[in-house]
Amino acid sequence: MERYLRTPIKEIIGKHPAVGAVLEEYRIGCVPCSVGTCLLADIVEIHDLSPEDEGTLMARIAAVVAPGQVAALPEPRTRRPEATRKYSYSPPMKALVEEHGRIKRFLAVLPSVIDRFDARSEADRGLVRGGLDFVRSYADRFHHAKEEDILFSLFDPDLDILKAMREDHERGRAFARAAGEALARGDGEGIAANLRGYAGVLSEHIRKEDEILYPWMDRNLSMRQVGELFARFRAVDERFEEDRKKYESFVGRLEDANAETLSEVSR
Amino acid sequence: MSGCPGSRTMTFATQEGADVPAGKVPSQLRQWPIQMHLVSPAAPYFQGADVVLAADCVPFAMGDFHNAYLKGRALGIACPKLDGNQEIYLEKIRGLFEDAKINTLTVVIMQVPCCRGLVGLALQALKESSRKVPVKSVVVSLQGEVLQEEWAAA
Repeated sequence: MERYLRTPIKEIIGKHPAVGAVLEEYRIGCVPCSVGTCLLADIVEIHDLSPEDEGTLMARIAAVVAPGQVAALPEPRTRRPEATRKYSYSPPMKALVEEHGRIKRFLAVLPSVIDRFDARSEADRGLVRGGLDFVRSYADRFHHAKEEDILFSLFDPDLDILKAMREDHERGRAFARAAGEALARGDGEGIAANLRGYAGVLSEHIRKEDEILYPWMDRNLSMRQVGELFARFRAVDERFEEDRKKYESFVGRLEDANAETLSEVSR
Repeated sequence: MSGCPGSRTMTFATQEGADVPAGKVPSQLRQWPIQMHLVSPAAPYFQGADVVLAADCVPFAMGDFHNAYLKGRALGIACPKLDGNQEIYLEKIRGLFEDAKINTLTVVIMQVPCCRGLVGLALQALKESSRKVPVKSVVVSLQGEVLQEEWAAA
């Protein structure tokens, strides 16, 4: 079992697909991950399972990778009493989660924008241009820059989980770039396919960060780092104050326009 | 077993087998004074510091207070139940946020209800402050266990 703990998860799932299903049951989403170089031992730590769940998970994985053998399982990690584990995001992480909230609101409206898009309509092209500006400026230059330039720099850059997050950012950028190119040549199908691709990558990426990455980072940041992170994020917020307001109101307007159109359709 | 939980008489059994560090344990205190009526937000030890505001009883209840919470931090102590003129505390905590530009504040209190006032005081000061910093509250049991750690929302 020790050997498997030090093995990249994609390699284990490749040889033993049933391990992926076991992980899914514990809401550990390694199967769709595009990188998969995280070691099994690190994955168990990052997800902060209870000692009972950790013990059961390891036993089930052992039963898959070494059936019929008596595997020496690692001792589950001890952790603080349950009462102290009531998790609340630290203020800088909470700010990132709130930004995710705005991006998710944008992603929620995107399918109906795509469905109704008519490449001959200047109003529709303008809406997509506005959406791509939101993606590039708010989601990427403002929010992802906070993560990549400030937050991630506090951790070992070689951590597999950070590599996976950076790769998600790059995949999102590639979809946004391709959607912009499709818009320039009036290719409605290209716009739709790339915006759908963007929404798919970002939705899963945000879920991983909110539920796994940020809580894990919070557990590993010192009070000094939390305070410094908070101050640096505030400085970025102040620098982007006007733009931030503009993009926050853009999401609201997009939702309102979408609600009006939907109600017209239902009339 | 009735009346105010903050002043109810109790005796705790000695914890058999509890780990006791060998030899002399060094203090992590790096400043004087520490009582909130005596400290000034202008003191050099507060500038840009991570500060702990502890209820008076906490360091006695908690065996490893020095290493767990005091190490590397500046300190203020107060009793929200018995201390007078607490409006001065409010001003001083606001001074820590705005003038000393502290990095973070950790408020460590006992589990007794009267101790909650210290967290309330810190949050009131944060609300009135033009400068915001992360504030965490920690609740300690009468026998020194951490019962809850929570980021405070201003």
